[in-house]
Amino acid sequence: MMNKSTAGSSKNEQGTGVPVGLDGSLSDPEDDFRLVALAQKGDMRSYDALVTRHRGRIFAMIRNMIHQEADAWDLSQEVFIKAWHALPRFEAKARFSTWLYRIAHNVVYDWTRKRKIESAGELNDEIFERNSIDPSASTAPSGGEAPDESMSHGELRVKIEAAMAKLSEEHREVVLLKDVQGLSYKEIADVMGSSLGTVMSRLFYARQKLQALLKDEYESR
Amino acid sequence: MNTNPDEAKLALWLEDELQGEDLASFEAWALTQPEHIAAREEIRAWKKTISSTLPASEEPPFPDFFNSKVLQAISQSAPAAEPVKVAKPAFWKSWLMPASAFAGMALAFWVGTKTHDQPQPQVVHHAPEVEIQPVVYTPDGVVNAVWTAGTGSSVIVLEGVNPIPDSTDFSETAYLDHEREIDSTAGRESVPH
Repeated sequence: MMNKSTAGSSKNEQGTGVPVGLDGSLSDPEDDFRLVALAQKGDMRSYDALVTRHRGRIFAMIRNMIHQEADAWDLSQEVFIKAWHALPRFEAKARFSTWLYRIAHNVVYDWTRKRKIESAGELNDEIFERNSIDPSASTAPSGGEAPDESMSHGELRVKIEAAMAKLSEEHREVVLLKDVQGLSYKEIADVMGSSLGTVMSRLFYARQKLQALLKDEYESR
Repeated sequence: MNTNPDEAKLALWLEDELQGEDLASFEAWALTQPEHIAAREEIRAWKKTISSTLPASEEPPFPDFFNSKVLQAISQSAPAAEPVKVAKPAFWKSWLMPASAFAGMALAFWVGTKTHDQPQPQVVHHAPEVEIQPVVYTPDGVVNAVWTAGTGSSVIVLEGVNPIPDSTDFSETAYLDHEREIDSTAGRESVPH
């Protein structure tokens, strides 16, 4: 899948003169600001380059938040479309990536809220989580993960994802932004619209809960 | 020695976010606290584990299509607004604008008083009329016509009329009677030729 983007990236590199990395870590904030300035003047090729530079991080963030690839794809689209419309208001006070995380935060929360309203009164299929099914029951599904899951994720990833899924949205987001995306406390506070103290507190309790949920993993290390 | 550390600074130090002088001064104290050192090592280990397990960046499926869909949605919607430039109003605008607004209101009032007593033009609800030259349809061959006058309508039966060509434009066959008043709800009266 990573190979697919190579063509698109090189195309952007030619168009803008800015090296476009597939990995978000390669994107330099200074280059971002230059591309943003061009995009603000209506240069679509520069905006295309910005999308290429940041789509991986935004998609990974949203996918880890909602655990649904198709919806994560759509929501990531929405982030970049909203970002384009809000681009005239973007000021270089924060990194462009932090600003995008902020939009992603709002998009995911709106989606979750809407989904909760739509699913009110419907059957909650979360009650069918494997953990809540009595393994001795005659109708219990066979255990073990799907072969494709096992191949693509690995056992630890599945365990961490399962533990993350049990966190509240706020706790999950703060862990993803801090420990996976590497944002600072200040940046997370900006993204989530919270105070620094709230972010610190959330991260502390989220890690404690994860530690408890992954107790076996911690002890085996 | 600072025995009552700033909690926020401690949290920043544990996350390796302190820099410069803050780091130097805080670390001098923190490195004497084994439990804080252990806590920082634990956080570092956790970060290493989770960041190697959950990728920070993951290309969406069909990345080129992803970009093209974004650009397509943008081009179909309204263009992004230009940054709002709040221009300082010129000095002359500060007095000229209210004055011209007042003059406009006065003019509108004067025109209103002049036109008040004039007879109102008759409003006719129909499209602007254009001079139309009627097209007369002439049947070929012998045609028998039977005319029957009824109470509210007249019926004309034509026998032996060839099929009317599709190219005939019936909108041009109507005769508009300009002398008669047109009722807005009845449409144009027409008399077939």
